[in-house]
Amino acid sequence: MSAGDKFFHLADYLTDRLNPILVKETRQALKSRQFIITFMLLLTVAWLISVFGTVWYGPAIEYGSAGRAFFVAYYYVIGFASLFVVPFGSFRSMLNERDHNTYELLSISTLSPRQIVNGKLLSSMVQVFIYYSAIAPFIAFTSLLQGFDLAMVTLFLVAGLLWSFFVSMVALMLSTLSSNRQWQAINTIGMIGLLLWQMSAAFGMSAVGLSESIPFDSEEFWWVLVSLLVGAGSFFLLAQQIAISRLTFESDNRSSGIRIICTLQFWLLWGGVWAYAYHYGTVAVDEDVIAACATMSSIHWLVAGLVFSTEPDHVSRRVRRNVSRLGAIRFLLAPWLPGGRRGLLFTTIHLLMLAIVVRLGSWDLWVQDMVTAAALYVFIYVAIGSAIGRLGQMVTPEFRPAHARVLTILIGALGMIAPYLPAAFGFTRWSNGYSLGEFANPGRTLIIISETAYVSGSHNKATVHDVLLILIAIAGVALLINLKAMYQGFSEMLSWKPVNAAESASVPAED
Amino acid sequence: MIEPVSTAAAIDQRGEPALELRHLHRFFGRLKAVDDVSFKAWPGQVMGFIGPNGAGKTTSMRILATLDTPTAGDAFVCGYSVVDDPDKVRRYLGFMPDSFGKYANMNVVEYLDFYARAYGMRDAQRRDAIEHVLVFTELRKLADKAINTLSKGMSQRLGLGRCLIHDPQVMILDEPAAGLDPRARVELRELIRLLATEMKKTVLISSHILTELGEICDSAAIIEAGQILAHGTVDEIQRKQHGGSTELTRARSLQVRIAAGDDTQSRMLGLEKWLLEQPLINLVQCAGAAAIFDFEGNDEDQQRLLQNLIAAGHPVIEFYGKTQSLEDAFMNITKGITQ
Repeated sequence: MSAGDKFFHLADYLTDRLNPILVKETRQALKSRQFIITFMLLLTVAWLISVFGTVWYGPAIEYGSAGRAFFVAYYYVIGFASLFVVPFGSFRSMLNERDHNTYELLSISTLSPRQIVNGKLLSSMVQVFIYYSAIAPFIAFTSLLQGFDLAMVTLFLVAGLLWSFFVSMVALMLSTLSSNRQWQAINTIGMIGLLLWQMSAAFGMSAVGLSESIPFDSEEFWWVLVSLLVGAGSFFLLAQQIAISRLTFESDNRSSGIRIICTLQFWLLWGGVWAYAYHYGTVAVDEDVIAACATMSSIHWLVAGLVFSTEPDHVSRRVRRNVSRLGAIRFLLAPWLPGGRRGLLFTTIHLLMLAIVVRLGSWDLWVQDMVTAAALYVFIYVAIGSAIGRLGQMVTPEFRPAHARVLTILIGALGMIAPYLPAAFGFTRWSNGYSLGEFANPGRTLIIISETAYVSGSHNKATVHDVLLILIAIAGVALLINLKAMYQGFSEMLSWKPVNAAESASVPAED
Repeated sequence: MIEPVSTAAAIDQRGEPALELRHLHRFFGRLKAVDDVSFKAWPGQVMGFIGPNGAGKTTSMRILATLDTPTAGDAFVCGYSVVDDPDKVRRYLGFMPDSFGKYANMNVVEYLDFYARAYGMRDAQRRDAIEHVLVFTELRKLADKAINTLSKGMSQRLGLGRCLIHDPQVMILDEPAAGLDPRARVELRELIRLLATEMKKTVLISSHILTELGEICDSAAIIEAGQILAHGTVDEIQRKQHGGSTELTRARSLQVRIAAGDDTQSRMLGLEKWLLEQPLINLVQCAGAAAIFDFEGNDEDQQRLLQNLIAAGHPVIEFYGKTQSLEDAFMNITKGITQ
């Protein structure tokens, strides 16, 4: 066997162990016009930068800090390829599968949705690596110049690489959200806008970062860096799981994976806060930071809660079959299993956790009040969404989860403007002060609560107390409306019997 | 030489059906695309799935292929439920949709190689499967050709090859002959015939070209407005049209052709009158020099009728039983209902 044959056999053997989508996409990409043009363009522009840069600097290149300037220029070139071209290719890759009717053939193969998503992502990564390898000689050239900082260059290249993977994952996830062709056209335009925006934001931040020295010896720098990495990593996992769920077969479990990651994100955030507080003491954690984290958590649970609590309640035989037969485990896992009732349970438990986590810290009362109010607001809206979803399904099977979500958002929006309608129509006078009627506006109310931190606040703590009482009363009503459903969310789990084959023809599958 | 397709009677129907639809329903809002459809197909059987446009064929096939889920009921492939075990069903099933996309920047071998990998095949197993498919579909000489430059006929062969790459036991072919020229249609038909005879696959095939289906199918299911109107062997379907009677005395369609000449018209008038006077004959229709009629006698009665025809001086040159085709059965059974 010749050396060439041995090489091809080895390559064949190795590619057999790789993700099939990665092999296919890499083969296609390497033959595609888009890849060749981007690659040649990247090399040409980098070469032109080198030539004109050197000419422009002249003899000053020997003693100035040209290294940094050259690196910035090359960084923008590779940034365009890795932050725009590759993520957009990733986005189009999945859309093309649907447009060209190839996705159906892919979905009925034995490839799992996870393999499909990971294959697409890995092929994007391969492209980024190829572009990076193309720019590598030019970066090596900058190392010969004055002003070259290896640590900074490494940090920015790695950050750019990771950001490219993250953006590609998000692009891939967005491409799975709509299978409707009209929406796909709109999505594509939106995607281009989004990619251009994030690329310019990344370039802007890089410009700021590259113009300053990086404080590698500062502990805070590493806390921020690790927090950013963990945060971005968790959203990467979330985007990946959403994409996988979108491609998962209808009778399979599309919800639990996302729920688990949402829980993970919540505990990562508060685990991080508590780790910092443990390390430096709770006094070191500013109340404003806690308020910001609580606001993020509330938004997180509002979005997640609205999605999970409006899911169809029917759980397929396939999902039921895969859940443990032990009642205690089913009881504990219930909030993470599919279904709107369990979705509301899931959200409620985490909102309680949010309130408890903040109460455990010895932070100011206003933070605790704000977090309590935020958690109550989220519970109320999610509970409304859940009730609307169930009621809608009772009225007509045509009522979809999306309808319940849109209606809840409309109710929320109406609640925000309702307190101001009498004044808008001239029935009352506009007032700068806060009235109890404005409790329906969460944004204004939470700001007012946060202002109790300052003596100059335009209201007193009694008002906040009254608002909290109103919110507790409404949340109590919302809980009563949903209590039976929440109980059923648990009891359904406990009463599940082993699936038998005779059910096959009698149990309707999900619509 | 191509062996004839086994008849349904020869198929062992005592074992597990390779394919089963059990009270399958699929509703899209108020539209009942599939409404309580049940039938079975056994290993080695080629089953035609026929119905007008919008009858629910493609929806049923998509459910079988695990591309859609039923509103109620279930379907089974080699004993596995398409709802509960879609991943297992996919191992045993090859699906060829009516139109399928092709990847850009890919040749025939790369296309097959990708699907072989997608079905988890490795090393020699993968290479052998690709080679086998290339030989079976006669695409060997086009192995390096870009797939988006293939003709429609070759594309359909490639699609069939893709379905076969993981050696499935059940194949579902949705309008595989649509848009093909006559030669490509005949070639594809022969390939499908081989699937059942040589490779012992169960094939569920839908087509609008019923004459062709009639030649390769040993059973059929006729669907209209989401409901199965008839299913079974082609012979069984024809019998059902006559009230389900299996007696030999059931009505059969006969055709008589007389020698044409200057007085054909008067001869035909005489023949028609004579036929109408005979017992056991109904519904005489004359066209040109031929008369077609329903005859309710047995083989002996038919023999006597021929003797009497000749004895009566009719210049008979042809006398034969006109077998009812799948197309006739389809036209008689369906009512042209659209949803």
